[in-house]
Amino acid sequence: MRRYGRHLAVDHLDIEVQPGETVALLGPNGAGKSTTISLLLGLLRPHEGNVEVLGTTARQAVAQGRVGAMLQTGTGSGLPPGVRVSEALELVRRLYARPASFENTVAHADIGSLLGCRTNALSGGEAQRVRFALAIAGDPELVFLDEPTVAMDVEGRRTFWRMMRQFGEEGRTILFATHHLEEADQIADRVIVINHGRVVADGPGATLKAAVTARRLRFVVTNPEPDRYDRLEGVTDVKVNGTGVTLISLDADATARDLVRSNVEFRDLEVTGACLEDAFVLLTEHERRHGGDAAP
Amino acid sequence: MSALLAFTRFELIRLLRSWKFLAITVGFPVVFYILFLGQHSSGQIIDGTVPWRIYLMVSMCTFGALVAALNAGGSRLATERSTGWARQLRITPMPAWAYVVTKVTASMLVVLPVLALVELVGLTFGGVRLGIGQWFALTALLWVTALPFAVLGVFVGFMVNAETAYPVVTALMFVLGYFGGLFNPVSEMPQALQSAAKALPSFHHALLALEFLSGQTLGGSNWLILVGYTAVLGLALLWKYKVEEARGLA
Repeated sequence: MRRYGRHLAVDHLDIEVQPGETVALLGPNGAGKSTTISLLLGLLRPHEGNVEVLGTTARQAVAQGRVGAMLQTGTGSGLPPGVRVSEALELVRRLYARPASFENTVAHADIGSLLGCRTNALSGGEAQRVRFALAIAGDPELVFLDEPTVAMDVEGRRTFWRMMRQFGEEGRTILFATHHLEEADQIADRVIVINHGRVVADGPGATLKAAVTARRLRFVVTNPEPDRYDRLEGVTDVKVNGTGVTLISLDADATARDLVRSNVEFRDLEVTGACLEDAFVLLTEHERRHGGDAAP
Repeated sequence: MSALLAFTRFELIRLLRSWKFLAITVGFPVVFYILFLGQHSSGQIIDGTVPWRIYLMVSMCTFGALVAALNAGGSRLATERSTGWARQLRITPMPAWAYVVTKVTASMLVVLPVLALVELVGLTFGGVRLGIGQWFALTALLWVTALPFAVLGVFVGFMVNAETAYPVVTALMFVLGYFGGLFNPVSEMPQALQSAAKALPSFHHALLALEFLSGQTLGGSNWLILVGYTAVLGLALLWKYKVEEARGLA
């Protein structure tokens, strides 16, 4: 029996993913994204609690052929050496009771030109596309993609996400892990931010948009007064290191004007884009201050 | 079932297309056969049982089976586990045990043509003459008893990583070959090595075939030792598999 509304448990957290949703699992390296996906695929067993996928156990969902995945492979290609792409795809299809048609899979993953190639002769981006084909070859309802664009150039990434979106439009549920804020924001219906194995934020890309536009202001003062900077317009975070001050701001222009107005004797002012790390701090802060609706 | 057949066929295609695998598995036993041919006169009776030509052919069959099985599992398996292909298979509906069983099966299947090839060298260069029934029975016996080698190869593939697999496999090939008495008769070895040889599966694998060809009853202890090796290695493989499974690596 299949339950509407899928229940995915992660550590001490519950994540509900609706059928047909494209969800991004966003977090810096080491946040627990790959572990989460391994748990959801039954490759790892949780030390406490339980994992439920498609209304059954993770293992069972995989055994029923209802789940597909593209995992991180480190330096390896993730493909069997010594065979042609077509042979690898044909094999994986035959491991499923009701696979997708060969032609459809080839079209979805755009690997028509690669079918005759040996798997060990592919470029990084080509291998990723083939692995995407293997992930969807079994016609799965739910697909996990762990950093799927990691070895790709800009053009490759664009093509890949277009492919994936088309695939998602057929009512398939997609959960992908990424550490690219923009990727998560542009591709997913919903973004779940995790860090240190916990959900930090969960929602549509709006909060993330704010994080993306965040800026970092750095300057030097003789006597730092952190409390004073915290009240400046747009500021969400203050870091003081000796005489150096770093502000994270959602509106750099307003913060800079306010900084001048309040007669802070700063020098060497520098404004840069906030890095992902800052964005995460921001999101964490946001959750804490506004009591966000992510499960505790 | 069709999934298992498809996977077995896939594995065989991969093995038979690998020039490195073919060069090693065909090259070693055939070259060694020809090198050792002149070591004794072909009619010299070894250990009071069979002439040298028979002894050598059987030894090289055992060595061929060993080389094929260790190389089919061994480093190839270690490599595909490190590249992530093994894990990709784990997330298909194919049950976990099927992966291991297919690997052992594929190893066994490539042992067969290697046996046939060495026998062909025996027939053409080695001066071995047997009845047609004897050829078939000998091949069947050598093949069935190669199971511990196949399990050993897969076990090694699970134990070592891609970098260490090759030296480990090579070392095993020569340790089991030399100390198992496949390169020269055990009776010509020092006493200490003779006892060591009798503990190795390669020695008993060859001995069973020699007993068959010299018309003796097949020694129960030979069977027992080969079955024992298969069982122990099989259990070790199962244990290693469980450990890896718990870590999510299998």
